[in-house]
Amino acid sequence: MRILRPKSEEGSVLICVLCTILILSLIAGNVLFSCITRYNVASGQVRGWKESLYAAEAGGDVAYAEVRKTVFDPTHAFNGWTSNGTGYNNTNSPITFGRDNLKASAAVDVFQYDSSGNAWYRIRAKGVAPVLGLTRVTMDDRVNSGTRGDSLLRKIDFQYDHFVAAYGPNGDNVGKAIVPVSGPQIARRIELIAVPVTPFSDTAIRATASFYGPGSAGMVDSYNSANGPYYFAANNPSDPHYSDSHSGSIALGSGIFNLGGDIWGNVSTNGGNVTAGSKIHGTIDNNVPFTIPPYVMPSNLPLPQASPSKINGNVALTLSTAGSAGVPNYYVVSSFSGNLTINQVGSAQTYVDIHVTGDITGSIDVKPNVHVKVYFDGNVSVKAQDIVNESGVSGNLQFYGISPTDPTVTQSIDIASPGNFSATFYAPSADFHINGNPDVTGAIVCKTFYENGNASWHYDRALNSVGERTDYRIASYVEDMR
Amino acid sequence: MTLKTLQKTAGFTLGEMLVAVSVSSIVLAAAVASSVSLQKSFNAVDNYFATLIQQVRIIDYLSRDVNRGLSVTTSVDLQTVTVNLPNYIIQAGDPEAVGNPSLIGTPRSPTISYSSGSMQINYGASTSTVVYSVSNSSILRTENGAVTTIASSTDQLVPQTTDVELANTECVNSAVTFMPIFTMSGSPAARTGTSLYSTAYLRNKRRG
Repeated sequence: MRILRPKSEEGSVLICVLCTILILSLIAGNVLFSCITRYNVASGQVRGWKESLYAAEAGGDVAYAEVRKTVFDPTHAFNGWTSNGTGYNNTNSPITFGRDNLKASAAVDVFQYDSSGNAWYRIRAKGVAPVLGLTRVTMDDRVNSGTRGDSLLRKIDFQYDHFVAAYGPNGDNVGKAIVPVSGPQIARRIELIAVPVTPFSDTAIRATASFYGPGSAGMVDSYNSANGPYYFAANNPSDPHYSDSHSGSIALGSGIFNLGGDIWGNVSTNGGNVTAGSKIHGTIDNNVPFTIPPYVMPSNLPLPQASPSKINGNVALTLSTAGSAGVPNYYVVSSFSGNLTINQVGSAQTYVDIHVTGDITGSIDVKPNVHVKVYFDGNVSVKAQDIVNESGVSGNLQFYGISPTDPTVTQSIDIASPGNFSATFYAPSADFHINGNPDVTGAIVCKTFYENGNASWHYDRALNSVGERTDYRIASYVEDMR
Repeated sequence: MTLKTLQKTAGFTLGEMLVAVSVSSIVLAAAVASSVSLQKSFNAVDNYFATLIQQVRIIDYLSRDVNRGLSVTTSVDLQTVTVNLPNYIIQAGDPEAVGNPSLIGTPRSPTISYSSGSMQINYGASTSTVVYSVSNSSILRTENGAVTTIASSTDQLVPQTTDVELANTECVNSAVTFMPIFTMSGSPAARTGTSLYSTAYLRNKRRG
């Protein structure tokens, strides 16, 4: 018997299901096709772009920290970095950090020395961040109705480092090469300039612990030795040097502030209660904390001369070479109780550095066009007339007090009448006392400042950029956009 | 013996057909309407997302230039931002390049100058100027005369606060908005809801 079955109807169900799946797949594919570029841009490229800058700035910070070590911890500055004769770099061993394994590296070189022999550093830092996410890109530089300018701003290295290929590893068109990258990445480069912070910038007297200022007949004002010798102009707005006369500022790191005379400048304290009055002719701010680190002997001085090793009696330094700010004539003496005269070499600007490992009780006579720095480990006790700086330019005679290794030990600097002088003192661990009525041009940084009398202080604005570096700061920021 | 099944037993009545066609039409109409709506929604979302990315690009551009800038000024109508930049890269025609063309495209070495007692780091004797401006629905970036369209359909660049100098630091707060294509009667709230804000600081001490 043959049974005729009705035709099967299940086949159409299968076809319907397949068609439905096909349609849904097409829709899903279209959605993914349209979204993936947006997703790449939003999730990977923007993130990589920003993170690479963070990495570059981290590299700059690390390099800046090493630059500061040249002042505070010279023996450990640039430890582990590669020296190439003109500078240092860690480009072959970049610092890796963060969840995305960002890479930071930097190259540091000295691009100039200033008139005080301080090095100015250029820091070139590079940061690399991976471009995470899907690899499909569909990128386009153009911005119009059909394109979105996906790669207009952010340069992504998918297979090769475009920067090395186009500009060379240092960006100077030298050493161009096709260098593959381990994965899609974005690199950004910045250049920072670290400039020395000089000790007497914009402040006549800076004390960390206390300030007992001049008596009612004394005062603090300013001038600029680059524009001529000092004269009082602070109360005459029509005077051509009036604008230079109101920088006799006082900065105090505590609230212990006492004053009798006029201050032709600003006053800042840390918790003081200084109020405006007829004596202070600038601004007052009682909320300006600051600290000054101990001062250590510079490590970049040349080998010392063999003699003299002591300054007793009358000693005249007649030099054979003038030296320079970066490479001065350098002496180390164990005592300074005599009378020292430092002569100019011919007509050349002459540079002399002296390290006094003991106390200073003698006198010094610095001839014009001679630039002297005196570093002392002990104390200073002299009369004002014993400090003779014949040029009258205070930056030509600078005293630096090396901080005692025991922080409980305080140095002392005592200056007595009679006489006047032009000089600077940078001694953050010292108590500074001055008696009588000396007329002083220069500036001072100390722990405590005590004046018993009516001395007048005239800050020299030319000191803004003069003196041994005490720190570094970043003065310029540029990004290499290539 | 042969058993025969009945043929044409599955026929529909006219009434059944009418009901079936009616229901099918309704379902099909709903499907078409849904598809059109879905497509519109997708386009709107896609456009929104794409424009949002352009907003981010504008902000990134502006932040990059402000960070490395020497000064930033804005127009009174807040539709133009001008940034002065260091001339870091030597360009064709620059004095250095005239004597030595191989220097084109290389970084300049910095130099120092003093003005009114303040020290400055310089890259070359002059600076570059970048102007961000709104042109219809596009944002233009003009660097030394060279115009680049950096975004389209993002039609407002509004620096909120400008020239704020705090302890030698200047910041620029900016907002970028756009009008979504899928809004009810183009209400202002729709634009406000797309605002993207940014604050960028000059890393260099302001000049001028």
